[in-house]
Amino acid sequence: METQMIINNFILNELAKGRKKTINNDEDLLAEGIIDSLGILQLVAFIEEKFNFTVPDEDVVIENFMSVNALSSYLDQKLAAKH
Amino acid sequence: MSYRYLLHSAIYENALLRPRHPAVRFQKEELTYDQLAKNSAQLGNFLVDLGVKRGDRVGIYMNKNINSAVAIYGILSAGAAYVPLDPFAPIDRLIFVINDCQIRFLITNESRKDNLKEIIEKTTLEGIIGIQNDVEINVPSYSWNQIFRHPSSQPSINLVEQDLAYILYTSGSTGTPKGIMHTHRSGLSFAEWAVQTYQISSSDHISNHAPLHFDLSTFDFFAAAIAGATTVIIPEGITKLPASMARWIQDEKITIWYSVPFALIQMLERGGLDSKNLSSLRWVLFAGEPFPTKHLRNLMKTLPWARFSNLYGPTETNVCTYYHVAPLSEDSDEPIPIGIVCENTEDLVIDTEGKPLPDGQIGELLIRGGTVMKGYWGRPDLTEKGFFRRSMFGYCEDIFYRTGDLVQKMPDGNYKFLGRKDRQIKTRGYRVELDEVEAALLSHPAVHEAAAYPVPDVEGSNLIEAAIILVQGEKLSEDDIVKHLSGRLPNYAIPAKIVISDDFPRTSTGKINRRELQERAIKNF
Repeated sequence: METQMIINNFILNELAKGRKKTINNDEDLLAEGIIDSLGILQLVAFIEEKFNFTVPDEDVVIENFMSVNALSSYLDQKLAAKH
Repeated sequence: MSYRYLLHSAIYENALLRPRHPAVRFQKEELTYDQLAKNSAQLGNFLVDLGVKRGDRVGIYMNKNINSAVAIYGILSAGAAYVPLDPFAPIDRLIFVINDCQIRFLITNESRKDNLKEIIEKTTLEGIIGIQNDVEINVPSYSWNQIFRHPSSQPSINLVEQDLAYILYTSGSTGTPKGIMHTHRSGLSFAEWAVQTYQISSSDHISNHAPLHFDLSTFDFFAAAIAGATTVIIPEGITKLPASMARWIQDEKITIWYSVPFALIQMLERGGLDSKNLSSLRWVLFAGEPFPTKHLRNLMKTLPWARFSNLYGPTETNVCTYYHVAPLSEDSDEPIPIGIVCENTEDLVIDTEGKPLPDGQIGELLIRGGTVMKGYWGRPDLTEKGFFRRSMFGYCEDIFYRTGDLVQKMPDGNYKFLGRKDRQIKTRGYRVELDEVEAALLSHPAVHEAAAYPVPDVEGSNLIEAAIILVQGEKLSEDDIVKHLSGRLPNYAIPAKIVISDDFPRTSTGKINRRELQERAIKNF
């Protein structure tokens, strides 16, 4: 739950600033143009800093970055493996 | 055997020749040539019933999907011209374009529904096509189900090849978008040339990466249709994820890829190209802006079996020169040429006074031939300014399009691109090519991308400012870069300020948005 909130807040307040009032956790972030290619880089950089782990290039794929839900379940899985 | 003279003729021909061959694919959906022709005819007949007449404009405003192809060919089948709108453009720009060329109907889908109410209020749109009946909207709306109940034989509309086929809006230098009008003939001239040059056949899988409002997309659809090949539309979301994009090429067995260099550079850097099987790729085509040589060299090493071709041309001329990239030397980052003029066009290089120049001299490139646009929608003044008239033998006139690009013909016959005429600025009385400044910045191994732009100074002249993105993991100070530049550029051409950024603002077509960078710099000045 917490991961979802952190990601949702970052996307809403940083990447979609002024363009969206809310973001649904299963909304398609990419097809709807909420995040562009620059946004992806910022999002990866944010995750790496916030959760202190490196996102390999091969993980930056549609399955993991399609929605807030997809991204947080990817992260939860990665973080659980780390501990 | 019918004579192919309209852009949509090819799909109806292929519906007879290879009815079950896939014409277009998007994710798990596919339309055969038979289905594409039938669906396009149904949309065409529906539009005719709505009162759409030859030459009318119909807009396409949606995220790409399988019906993007139906929309293009359906509108053409009705005798109308299609106007693709950027699905992510600010609403004011959309309203401007719809009013500017008086779009009567808009083909859209659920994804764009939120903006429709405002668009309809501020335009004279007569109806919306592609969504369910909706009480929120004040004009009639029609669903695809309704459309696909119409007759599936091609509407009989008399058209000639000089009829308007599509209008592409680009940002004018004043910031007001201008509508570039292409006819069936100018579109076909380019597509037919491309089919021959790249030997496209029905077994090809051609990627559609560019948005429909970007002229690269006309290759993806029209060249494929002429050859009876398959256009594979890449989902918008995937274009933002290099690793997904590379895997998509593998899974769809793409044989011809066409995009701006940026998409290819992203895949090279973060797409894991090494780990994918991309052996299906036989041509990698790119256009839109120069491909930095050091990245191109790496890409060519990664995909040694593919051939690479640089296509050059303003939207106004489709493609007018091309260069099949020869092996690149290891020790020079010299930009690759834009090549030789296409077989169906004629070139001329003039000086600032309009006098033709001999080969080897630097001047503005002019282009004449079948691929050149009809003009700018509703702007005879701009159209007139865009063309150059030359009297031929005193009894007739040749009309050339002025590209505004500076070129130089090399001894081997290839043109070298030297930048925009208006990218040549004066700083402290010296003439500087901003593209040369960018090339010098890019020649540093740690510089990944570079943009140079003028910032007006207090003395009424210009300072040069530059922004760069470093190669991942590299560290560099402004001083290091200046040191590097001082061996390559005259002092007056070295940027007064160099900003190191994480990424650049980009246009909706993926090019570096230098105007935005410049505006930011002026604000901070």
